[in-house]
Amino acid sequence: MPLTETGLKQPVKANEKDLLKINMPVIPDDQKVEVALKHLNELGEKFRSLMLTFESCVKCGACAENCHTYLGTRDPYNIPANRADLLRKVYKRYFTPEGKFFPGLIGAKDLELEDLEKMYSYFYQCNECRRCSLVCPFGLDTCEATMAGRQLLHWLGMVPKLHASVGAAMAKTGNHTGLPKAATVDTCEFLEEDIMDEIGVDIKIPVDKPADILYIPSSADFMLNPNTMTGAAKFFHYLGVNWTISSEIVEAGNFGLLFDQRATLRANCMRVIDEALKLGIKKVVWGECGHGWRAGKMYLPGMLDRPGRIPIVHIHDEVAYYIEKGALKLNPDSITRPVTLHDPCNFGRACNMCDTLRKVMNASVSNFVEMTPNRERNFCCGGGSAILFDDPEMYDLRIKFSAKKAEQVRATGVDKDGEGILCAPCSICKAQLYPMVEEHKLGVEVKGLIDLVGLSLYPVKHD
Amino acid sequence: MTYFILQILPYISVAVLTIGLLYRLGRWASGRIVHNITLTPAPTTQTGAVVDIAAEAILFKSLFKADKTLWTGSWIMHMSLFAILGGHVMGIGLLGLQFYYIGLTSAETSEYLSNLLGTSMGIVVLLGLLYLLYRRMAINEVKMISAPSDYLHLLMLIAIITAGNLMRFVPEWGIHYEPVRDYVAHLLTFSAVTPEMEVMHKPVFVIHLLLVQVLMMYLPFSKLLHIPGMFAHRWIINRPYVEPAPGMPGVTVGGSGHNVSGGHSASGEVQ
Repeated sequence: MPLTETGLKQPVKANEKDLLKINMPVIPDDQKVEVALKHLNELGEKFRSLMLTFESCVKCGACAENCHTYLGTRDPYNIPANRADLLRKVYKRYFTPEGKFFPGLIGAKDLELEDLEKMYSYFYQCNECRRCSLVCPFGLDTCEATMAGRQLLHWLGMVPKLHASVGAAMAKTGNHTGLPKAATVDTCEFLEEDIMDEIGVDIKIPVDKPADILYIPSSADFMLNPNTMTGAAKFFHYLGVNWTISSEIVEAGNFGLLFDQRATLRANCMRVIDEALKLGIKKVVWGECGHGWRAGKMYLPGMLDRPGRIPIVHIHDEVAYYIEKGALKLNPDSITRPVTLHDPCNFGRACNMCDTLRKVMNASVSNFVEMTPNRERNFCCGGGSAILFDDPEMYDLRIKFSAKKAEQVRATGVDKDGEGILCAPCSICKAQLYPMVEEHKLGVEVKGLIDLVGLSLYPVKHD
Repeated sequence: MTYFILQILPYISVAVLTIGLLYRLGRWASGRIVHNITLTPAPTTQTGAVVDIAAEAILFKSLFKADKTLWTGSWIMHMSLFAILGGHVMGIGLLGLQFYYIGLTSAETSEYLSNLLGTSMGIVVLLGLLYLLYRRMAINEVKMISAPSDYLHLLMLIAIITAGNLMRFVPEWGIHYEPVRDYVAHLLTFSAVTPEMEVMHKPVFVIHLLLVQVLMMYLPFSKLLHIPGMFAHRWIINRPYVEPAPGMPGVTVGGSGHNVSGGHSASGEVQ
């Protein structure tokens, strides 16, 4: 149901049954506006960042040319300031004196059902990458408006089927793909055999074993990116770490950050520390997942219902630390293919990880080429905030969103011989880039950073 | 009418500005900083964060990196406007003798310099504002996201500056520092403005003052809130952040777990 009567492009909505699985009632259409206003007021009053973003924007438009969704589509509503305006106009109309008395003058407007549909369309075209916040002269965080908008829509029962079903799968099985424990154990055994065949080393991937370290992999690493999982296993094995994964939380991601920052975000955060406690864990090490790590690093401490005493770190930071300590003997000469790095938005702009990624990269490969712009100024892959929708109209948008990324990769020249590697250390980036690399005909293979560490740590012998 | 603008309106406009700002700032303060939305790379100390925010406020660092043309126009506009505000305090307060008082120049040179600076900044700020107005109309993206008020703010400032410049360039429309100082002294001491005072007979001055007061009154109810808003928002996103200690327990090289047991928080905290 991509095109509505008004011509808006929208992802398929979750139906009543899907919504019940994530404990959300559906609000009938004739009550939506009233309920939305009530919640919008609550959100504005609660989040200072949101109120400031509503009240301080001067509409200078510096964000327009810095947003890849606008660059890719030239749709006026994909200008970050304008996207936030969908909500801002309404907020001003009802909750500020100027909007109450002079709506026309300051561009405020009454909320109508149609506006909610428009919000549903455009807030799910935002990648929540925060590049606009970086370039805004006041640092206004348009991502906060998108997040508030999605929260509001969630409370109205307007959630993409993708997000709702991932939320439901997470609550049921502890991972986004709905993998039960038996399948997790099976996959791990299969991956262990894989490692054995590849490098002839017996490396175990322990499941639910009381240990020092709890590794939180992305569930996509069990299907789409197995080399990321085996890379992490190789790293832990090399150092002799007493580690485990938990079948209850085989998921680095947290979709709560993306559509419901209350119940879903909190439940997923609690799941991590509950499991860590159960297994007697001393430290939690997070896997390759951009938004998940943002949630784990920045949001989790404030979302817990009890003090979180177990330190949580990211595997890249640990790898970089042991590289610095000289504890890892990497063989960069074993990876001579040209590699370029896509800095995931959440790592660069939200989690302070740009230097770490480069430390690990430079130690693992011998031919690393920087992309421009890079680090915290990098452009999003186009899949950010999990808008990985498959319906044709939304898929078409995803290709357009990644046009800037394709341009950046081409400019590095790593794709020239068809031998290049595009390193994207984030599950959503990978899921977006696998098809995008094909669509934009780039001669690169998409890999994670831990994949490269694993390959460099235990080079495959070519006889 | 002149009497109203000069004697009564100033108290109203200052009151509206103050109460309006307090209302807005109070609303902001009652909202919480719910999540850690620090923009990284972040500094590790509070001083580092203050330096970052200062660089944003004084040099418009983010905008410089993002859009050089807009930066040029807006930085020049804001800095000259700021200089003009300071110039009003110096000119009216010290009668343009500020350079003389700090021992740099003679009294005459000081007044001459004060006039020269005021006049030139008046032209610079006008050019800056005209550029911003042109930009708002010429660049399609900016035009699309503009509301009528976005133009009105610029036109209002242009009107205020034009009135000020006319007073500089047309001697008979202008007014010297002394009568204005007397007038301000009257206002501050709550004494009545008398009909023979020079300020009562300078229409351009009265218009200039009227427009400024109108601006003061709508400032707390407009996007001009970006002045305090910038500091308030940067206070949320430009914060120090200290990374949690690296090192895993049971690994003999480097981290033997001592870093781990010492880590009290699940995430970085400011020391």
